[in-house]
Amino acid sequence: MLLRNPRREIEIAGPITVVKLLQQLQINPETVLLIQGDTLVTRDALLSDGDDIEIRPVTSGG
Amino acid sequence: MKCRRCRGPAVIDIRRHNAAFCRDCFLRHCREQVKRAIKDHEMIVPGDRVLVAVSGGKDSLALWDLLAELEIEADGLYLGLGIGDYSDESGRHARDFAVARGRRLIEVDLREEYGFDVPVAAAATRRAPCGACGLSKRHLFNDVALREGYDAIATGHNLDDEAAVLLGNVLRWETGYLGRQAPVLPNAPGFVRKIKPLVRLGEREMAAYCVLTGIDYQVDECPMAQGNRHLGLKEVLDALEERSAGAKAAFLFGFYDRGREHFLEEAAAERGDLRPCPECGSPTTSELCAFCTLRDRATGENVPVHLRRAPVGD
Repeated sequence: MLLRNPRREIEIAGPITVVKLLQQLQINPETVLLIQGDTLVTRDALLSDGDDIEIRPVTSGG
Repeated sequence: MKCRRCRGPAVIDIRRHNAAFCRDCFLRHCREQVKRAIKDHEMIVPGDRVLVAVSGGKDSLALWDLLAELEIEADGLYLGLGIGDYSDESGRHARDFAVARGRRLIEVDLREEYGFDVPVAAAATRRAPCGACGLSKRHLFNDVALREGYDAIATGHNLDDEAAVLLGNVLRWETGYLGRQAPVLPNAPGFVRKIKPLVRLGEREMAAYCVLTGIDYQVDECPMAQGNRHLGLKEVLDALEERSAGAKAAFLFGFYDRGREHFLEEAAAERGDLRPCPECGSPTTSELCAFCTLRDRATGENVPVHLRRAPVGD
């Protein structure tokens, strides 16, 4: 799993829902997009082992 | 989740609308929101020449793309702010977008044309760099638009930006700024109309728009903005939004509908008597305009600078 700002990679065991994943990482879902390839993943999606996901912050500082 | 419109698989949920959308319906939603903002606030009239302030970030590139989707022709303006690799990469995103879509991109480099950049100005004024950056942007957007004969400057300020600015101004009861906070600032002598067509779309929607349309934007945060007040205000609002979906939109649109009118007189009074700056001709209430004062200080002229605190994130 790739996290941006700052950029780092982490491994999380699946299966896990997006909501649970963000709770685990203490990330407010309002502040990020979950990107898989060229599309997005919704809050209720179930992520599996081996899924390559980017968690991208959307907030900019003005 | 299923798309509210077509019942296909959704790719994004927008809690304040209690809705989820598939890719195509989401892009349509974005176009509709921009179209509605432009119509409701009479931002653009047929025949207007529009200049988009392009930073290379998600909001300004999405805005430029959305205007084209709505068949509103617009050129872009990119300002080189001299913030190291960050500016280099931002400029590349802006240029690549313009080239790929065959659009005109005007570029102004602060250091080349005015002899200073944002880090130098921040050091010279001993203030947060965002103050010098915002001041330079406001001045140069207006200056270039006037010189090049544009009717409106479109900026990528979105719902989150505007809600954060509002919260910042309310926390300090900046009544003059509250009176001037609007989706459209009409043209006036020396000022080109300023419009914010993304005001009905949130930050998350703009990032999603870029991902789903393949727009390659500057994802990294400006290194000089890290930890700034604007980000702190957004964090507070995001926490509220997570607990109560729609809180940000209700706060902002409620202000536009029922709050702003109470501050108009103070905004007009604060503006005072404007006269042309003797160096650049921009309207100012001071002897020298704030930009020229900043430039003189940053380039070594012995002029004291008193940066007036601008609305957060404006």
